Amino acid sequence: TVSTKILRKKRAELSYLHHSLQQTSTNESLTAEERTIHDRTLLEVRDSDHHIQWKVQFILGNSSRQISQCRNSIQGKILLTDELGYVCERKDLLVNGCCNVNAPSSSQYVCKSCLANGCCSVYEYCVSCCLQPDKQPLLEHFLNRAAEGLQNLFTAVEDHFELCLAKCRTSSQSVQHENTYRNPQAKYCYGESPPELLPI
Amino acid sequence: MLHLAKVAFLSKYKCSCPVRFCNIFWSLSLSFLEYIVAFNGYFTAKARSDFISSALRDVDAVNWRIVRRDNPASDYPSDFEVVEIRQDARSSLLTLQDHPYIKRVTPQRMVLRSLKLTDSGTDGASPCNDTRWVQKWQSWQSSRPLRRTSLSLGSGFWHATGRHSSRRLLRAIPRHVAQILQADVLWQMGHTGSGVKVAVFDTGLSEKHPHFKNVKERTNWTNEKTLDDGLGHGTFVAGVIASMRECQGFAPDSELHIFRVFTNNQVSYTSWFLDAFNYAILKKIDVLNLSIGGPDFMDHPFVDKVWELTANKVIMVSAIGNDGPLYGTLNNPADQMDVIGVGGIDFEDNIARFSSRGMTTWVRSHAGCQASTCLSMASESLSMLVFCLSSTVLNRELVNPASMKQALIASARRLPGVNMFEQGHGKLDLLRAYQILNSYKPQASLSPSYIDLTECPYMWPYCSQPIYYGGMPTIVNVTILNGMGVTGRIVDKPIWQPYLPQNGDYVDVAVSYSPVLWPWAGYLAVSISVAKKAASWEGVAQGHVMVTVASPAENDVSNSGEMTSTVKLPVKVKIVPTPPRSKRILWDQYHNLRYPPGYFPRDNLRMKNDPLDWNGDHIHTNFRDMYQHLRSMGYFVEVLGAPITCFDASQYGTLLMVDSEEEYFPEEITKLRRDIDNGLSLIIFSDWYNTSVMRKVKFYDENTRQWWMPDTGGANVPALNDLISVWGMAFSDGLYEGDFTMADHDMYYASGCSIARFPEDGIVIAQTLKDQGTRHLLFNLMMIIIISVGNHLYRYSKVLEAHLGDPKPRPLPACPHLSWAKPQPLNETAPRSVHMRPLPFSTTALSVETNLNWDALSLNISLLVLKSFCCLIFLWYSKPWYTIIQKFGLSKI
Repeated sequence: TVSTKILRKKRAELSYLHHSLQQTSTNESLTAEERTIHDRTLLEVRDSDHHIQWKVQFILGNSSRQISQCRNSIQGKILLTDELGYVCERKDLLVNGCCNVNAPSSSQYVCKSCLANGCCSVYEYCVSCCLQPDKQPLLEHFLNRAAEGLQNLFTAVEDHFELCLAKCRTSSQSVQHENTYRNPQAKYCYGESPPELLPI
Repeated sequence: MLHLAKVAFLSKYKCSCPVRFCNIFWSLSLSFLEYIVAFNGYFTAKARSDFISSALRDVDAVNWRIVRRDNPASDYPSDFEVVEIRQDARSSLLTLQDHPYIKRVTPQRMVLRSLKLTDSGTDGASPCNDTRWVQKWQSWQSSRPLRRTSLSLGSGFWHATGRHSSRRLLRAIPRHVAQILQADVLWQMGHTGSGVKVAVFDTGLSEKHPHFKNVKERTNWTNEKTLDDGLGHGTFVAGVIASMRECQGFAPDSELHIFRVFTNNQVSYTSWFLDAFNYAILKKIDVLNLSIGGPDFMDHPFVDKVWELTANKVIMVSAIGNDGPLYGTLNNPADQMDVIGVGGIDFEDNIARFSSRGMTTWVRSHAGCQASTCLSMASESLSMLVFCLSSTVLNRELVNPASMKQALIASARRLPGVNMFEQGHGKLDLLRAYQILNSYKPQASLSPSYIDLTECPYMWPYCSQPIYYGGMPTIVNVTILNGMGVTGRIVDKPIWQPYLPQNGDYVDVAVSYSPVLWPWAGYLAVSISVAKKAASWEGVAQGHVMVTVASPAENDVSNSGEMTSTVKLPVKVKIVPTPPRSKRILWDQYHNLRYPPGYFPRDNLRMKNDPLDWNGDHIHTNFRDMYQHLRSMGYFVEVLGAPITCFDASQYGTLLMVDSEEEYFPEEITKLRRDIDNGLSLIIFSDWYNTSVMRKVKFYDENTRQWWMPDTGGANVPALNDLISVWGMAFSDGLYEGDFTMADHDMYYASGCSIARFPEDGIVIAQTLKDQGTRHLLFNLMMIIIISVGNHLYRYSKVLEAHLGDPKPRPLPACPHLSWAKPQPLNETAPRSVHMRPLPFSTTALSVETNLNWDALSLNISLLVLKSFCCLIFLWYSKPWYTIIQKFGLSKI
């Protein structure tokens, strides 16, 4: 017969054991995880000769160009970003797919919620921020070094807008342990680095 | 060559197209130079290499080498190494075997599976639509798992865990005919799926397959550098979707995009899917077929990505999985509201036994096919029908994931004699779906489209117990499908309108709902209760809930306003007078946890092929037999979804706690003690909890790439002991199993603990059983070096604080409070038939909280029969010390 007391004690010991194991294992598993990400999703090319053949057309010059039809980010729950970089609420979207620039909710090149590492909490702001003309060198740099794992996607992208739509989506670089976000708060990244790795 | 299995497609009818046979061959051969060196434990690659080098130090270095294994497991310690020995193998083996850390050395075997299609010529001249495919599987006799990963050697347990914790591919063999699904009629109208972009997520496609003139592109998302299908699954799937019209394909002119997301070893990772899905969005895929399923609905990155796909107008069709016939066993992603899930039925409209139960659309599959072969077939057939349908619609703008699902659901024919959680929307009717889609006006719809708690068996379990005043509210989860736009909202609030001539005012209704309907769908949770004035009334009451949904009008040039759509949800309930306290049983659901998110092992340790308790325990699912038995004996069973502090114990005879994994709030413990003193009976089915066994059943999960260790045993016995210690009782950490007989009932006690402590004046009924604990340790599972996760119960617990260290309880949450809708009575009568069009029924989770309860004395024996794998039961009746207590596993106290 085992008494409750003994059980309790065992449980306390077990929890202590788990605690100490947890601490040692966190470090180990993090490094293994980082390695996996680098090896498998190949954030950067290992082989410097191997560049992907990207064909993105960046539009140079000012952003006040006139177009009659806009593509937009389609998916948003509340917000949308059009290809000119305007973010607006769904109700302020015009029939031609562009944001109504006169609506109070509309503004261009919004980097709200984006961190210094280029990761944002809101997908639409990520796309809008990414469309800023001054982000072009950063994106070109990324494309030049983007690795095999992402090749399918980024060789199919044709212009700045498509690139930003695709780049800001969560991807193999956004996860740890395959089923958890590296950073659930800021997971949409236009920048080169993956989201900051937060402990689970 | 070992010929272990054979699959053949036989043409039952004469047909002008070639008849093809598919044979699977297994060959097993010894690889003469290679040996598997097994160690006593798990060691790093370097340590293993050192051991072998030291054992073979007398053998010339050119005569042996360690065979490199490059796989995701290489980063982790392993218990074996493959060594190639060229000369003098025999003596080398002997020296190897002498090493203290080496357990044994065995020759390496190679298993090859080959899948061959052979044409057997043509005969006859009738059209191919008559072709029926009959598939014959001979079951494979070996207990060794088919797939061999380096770490799975010799461990069926291991293999099985990997398979069940990750998404898996379902083997597919075509057996449906376009004709049965009436696709030929659509072809005659000239609709062949032209211009529709279809994505097939599978094992790829073999390059030289003659049928695939429609293949637009093939992409690879795995770490194997090939586009070819080495397995045959993807080729079959693609074949069904777009093979030539003369044979049995359904959408011959569609444009195929082949995504290779499974390796030839059927391995896949969430991250590959994320990248591949992004590409599908970029390529503006119309219909995406996914013949995979996994239990992990908590995989947020994956679930979010599926939402993102649907929000981008990709219609996703997914198999619902092979985990039937249990209830609530839908696989993700087929359980998502925005995904079309597909199951299998046979030609007699019986739901295939292997099919998961849940709300979906059923496609015919051939009777007699085996679990894990049929399901993905069904999903391919539906995918192809879906693009077939998409291409027939004149106004493409109107086709979206919601309208497609609405059309399929509204046209589906209900299967007789089967409840809604099993049959979903019923059987697909392609022609009706076509008609509906072609006259479609954007609108919202509900699924289920009505709530009739009196309708059996369709509304089981709701229909199995009438409601009464004072019972826990009955909650029905309704999905709102919104074909008007990807986002929508509910205007004002849903309105409850009781029908006065039909006693609607005897019912109280509360409705909670999604603040935003996105993507294309949302929920409406309807709580139904009986008004106080009907406390002793018996009869049927009716009314309806009215909801108005609004979406931004994107396509309307003249008006930048909103589109709205109003739907009514008829409600019909049977009310009885409140039963006496002794007849009311309360089932504690709040303290049940399940995988995901935590790893909670099976209650029955013998079920090694599926160690995760991901179905959880529920009185209406795996304890359905017990529920029906209690009902037939006149008890009313209610479900408690809140802490123990949240129910009025004076209303209930008994509280029933079965296999609870959760901890208890101090307030709950205090309250339960007071309730027992005031005459509440308590029945506890405990289970096993043994830390060394828990460590043994730890496993490496290939999908999440981490170690999983049980967060509790079959039940959280230490927490239960805290709960019952005040009465001088305790469970042990022993583990027992065996057969016994009680009052002429033969019973099997599968895995459970024993009673460690019990008051002297209590009654214990005892039986000596086999000690499973020591035996379990002998199982050749994995010898484990503890390298990773600890107990993470705090992460999943509603009770413990989310941090490491000494477990501390959170503050007690407030009890759920429903705000009843202010009724707007109507002086009208419900339409004669509440049974309207069987409109949308979607794959919402089974969330049932009904009112139910019983009398301990008369129950005990039958209860045991019903649920034999509990550890032990004790119940006490009015006063704890004069109780019936039953105990097994200990012969004396």
